[in-house]
Amino acid sequence: MTLDILAYAAFFLSMALTYAIICLGLNVQWGMTGLFNVGIAAFVAVGAYTSALLTTPPSPDRFGGFDLPIFVGWLGAAITSGLLSWAVGALTIRLRSDYLAIATFGIAVTVQLCMLNLQPITGGAFGIGFIPRPFAGLQENALLFSLANFGVMALVVLALYLGLEHLAKSPWGRVLRAIREDEMAAQALGKRPIRFRLQAFSLGGAIMGLAGAAQAHFIGFIAPDNYMPILTFQVWAMLIVGGSGNNRGAIAGAVLVWGLWALSAAAVSSFVPAEQQARAASLQIVAIGVGLCLMLLWRPRGLFGEVSPLTRLKSLRRAPSKE
Amino acid sequence: MNPQFIMDGLIAGAIIGLGAVGVTLTYSILRFSNFAHGELLSWGAYLALAVAGALGTLSAGLTKPIAPFSFGWALPLAAVIAIGLTGLLALAVDALLFSSFRRRGSAIIIMVMASFGASLALRSLLEFLFTSRPAYFTKALQIAMKLGGGLRATPDQLLMLGVTLVSVVTVHLLMTRTDIGRAMRAVSENPALASIAGIDVRRVIRTTWFLGAALACVAGIMSGLLIQIRPYIGHDLLLPLFAAAILGGIGSVPGAMLAGLIIGLCEALAVQAVGAEWRAAVSFVILIAVLLVRPRGLFGKAS
Amino acid sequence: MTGSILSTSGLVAGYEPDLPIVHGIDFSVASGELVVLLGPNGAGKSTFVKAIAGLVPIHAGTMLLNGRDITHVAPHRKVAEGLAFVPQTENVFATMTILENLQIAVAHLAKAKRAAAIEALFARFPDLAARPSRLAGALSGGQRQMLAVARALALDPPVIILDEPSAGLSPKIVSEVFEMLKAINASGVTVLLVEQNVKAALAIASRAVILAEGRIAHEGLPQDLASDPLVGKIYLGTAHDHQKAPA
Repeated sequence: MTLDILAYAAFFLSMALTYAIICLGLNVQWGMTGLFNVGIAAFVAVGAYTSALLTTPPSPDRFGGFDLPIFVGWLGAAITSGLLSWAVGALTIRLRSDYLAIATFGIAVTVQLCMLNLQPITGGAFGIGFIPRPFAGLQENALLFSLANFGVMALVVLALYLGLEHLAKSPWGRVLRAIREDEMAAQALGKRPIRFRLQAFSLGGAIMGLAGAAQAHFIGFIAPDNYMPILTFQVWAMLIVGGSGNNRGAIAGAVLVWGLWALSAAAVSSFVPAEQQARAASLQIVAIGVGLCLMLLWRPRGLFGEVSPLTRLKSLRRAPSKE
Repeated sequence: MNPQFIMDGLIAGAIIGLGAVGVTLTYSILRFSNFAHGELLSWGAYLALAVAGALGTLSAGLTKPIAPFSFGWALPLAAVIAIGLTGLLALAVDALLFSSFRRRGSAIIIMVMASFGASLALRSLLEFLFTSRPAYFTKALQIAMKLGGGLRATPDQLLMLGVTLVSVVTVHLLMTRTDIGRAMRAVSENPALASIAGIDVRRVIRTTWFLGAALACVAGIMSGLLIQIRPYIGHDLLLPLFAAAILGGIGSVPGAMLAGLIIGLCEALAVQAVGAEWRAAVSFVILIAVLLVRPRGLFGKAS
Repeated sequence: MTGSILSTSGLVAGYEPDLPIVHGIDFSVASGELVVLLGPNGAGKSTFVKAIAGLVPIHAGTMLLNGRDITHVAPHRKVAEGLAFVPQTENVFATMTILENLQIAVAHLAKAKRAAAIEALFARFPDLAARPSRLAGALSGGQRQMLAVARALALDPPVIILDEPSAGLSPKIVSEVFEMLKAINASGVTVLLVEQNVKAALAIASRAVILAEGRIAHEGLPQDLASDPLVGKIYLGTAHDHQKAPA
């Protein structure tokens, strides 16, 4: 019994950590750089599908299945999503800040369409199954299998965390911060803000793609339904709750919000009669939306946030005013 | 190629155009892209549905179709009430949410984010109240009339085109010929100067919300009458609305309407040429093309 | 000196609550005066008049117009109460026509009186009357300044405040602008003027006030200030006047 609970806890935490990876990617874009991405689901999906195509065994009814090692799949996922982010960013970062938001929203809609309609590649509405899972040899032993997977996720999160912390303190991170604090000054120093922003946006997108791949291999099955707009909302809620600009907050927010989400979903399915469950689920989403707004209104620094990009953006906005 | 796509495109374009006029107004006066604008379309449609239902139970005569249309007097009456209610909804969301950010001088992107949260909450609230099962204003079937040139349209569809034309001309005259219209353009150009020129900026903001919501409600009802009412109708139209507002040039009412028609026609053409499943990608392609070639749009001001 | 028409006491103002730029100014303008506000860059002159107009938040102190407390009155109400303000830059609606700019300005009047008010403005500024349908954005710098002043005068305000009206104008136009201000003052309107163009401003002023670091540093008659070498050197930058003169 306790072993079951332990296995479940490992499973739950692994899932939460996949969200933590997405959240870290978003933090590079929003927390470090102030770029708003409304198409998170698309970048995660592109990563998941890329890795699935690269690592699944060849399949007669669709393109690919290249049977490559999982590691290659993850790398390919990060590269593809990174390239997609780069393309979106290159097009919109030089324009008004909300044009990027609109373009990422468009990407989300379009990627959703592609997943559904490019059947020969994506498997259409049914998606792709039989994605190789890490430590498949251990599957006989549920506990060991869960723990091993959890270990991999924890390692990935830890490595990303250390890497991003290091990056924030590196010259690159300092330039990024300088641009965010005072774009004019950074420009005067010969730094090209657009290039740095674009790099940060691509890096964030690549991390989201990696997260998509990690999630796909963890679950073993992907379909367009996994990448609905609600995923984007959930990740935003995680980052806002955790406090943007803060990598530890991003991880903590992911675990906390995923926990609340899973808990309330479990409550809905056990206490609400079956015919009312769809309705109850929509109330759950109303709660996320309202919660996001309330956090923005009352605690814009997040529960664990140390630094707020809001005040920084504010000072940036006011920089040109005279006297 | 079947010329009928022109009629289909014009009707879809009329709906997109009306919604885009609202987007372009809120964008130019409140200075952020409102991701919750689509939900005003959905709420408008459901509010009209609810009011029409209530009117129908009061008097069965109101549901009897007015020849040659498919609906009874209950719908136009409900539409008028729903326009007011949708306007109030927009004002309530502004009072509860966006006005606080304005007072604090928050960054634009925080408002965008809040609108994103608001859209999620509003849409899911509709799903909670009405479920995601499609609903209909009328069950009556209409036969399309031949218009010549290979075009066909139902009386309902022709009425929609007429209502759109009247709405857009009204908004255009309001913007160019009236005090409040001039005040709206002044605030859109320079809110600080507007205030010291004697304009009550808060009143202009309230008017903008109400006007945008009223147009959204009309568009939502038309979309519901044309196909069906679902909680997602607004969300599914959001990308075309943004694309039309940007293609038309932010702040331009005629631009938004024209761009809406262009996008509607392109969608209809794509449905014939490529297939209905790719319809939603059309506005994305147009959006990307505009951002690449002419980010200020057809009638936008250079910035 | 006749009664004060506009006064502030202990006025503290600035964009951020914790970062005041104006540090408690006691200031008063008597009816009919033409007061010029001088001071080095960053002294807070512009912020001070913007705070009076309602464009910069006031954190402490009070402000009276004709004896009425207008400290926390919204900017558009201040206009209706008779306080007109002409900002330094972006002081006309560039995307709208001359006529539309003036229509906005007279919107507080009853509908029946508007046409006459616009006619009166056109009579006063014949340059603007020539082509009322021109876009304000297409006007020359001097014409824009005319339109901005015309807009401010539309409601016959007892007080008009101008923030550096000569900035960016050619010397010939500058002297025209100062002539215009003199005429406006002569017609009975109280004028408060922020200026960098010290000599020209002192030439038309009835009194000068010097601001430094958000406080009043010196006050006096123009002729006394102009001849005081210390004041000139420290606050007015007359030593560098040739550099500041607009090109």
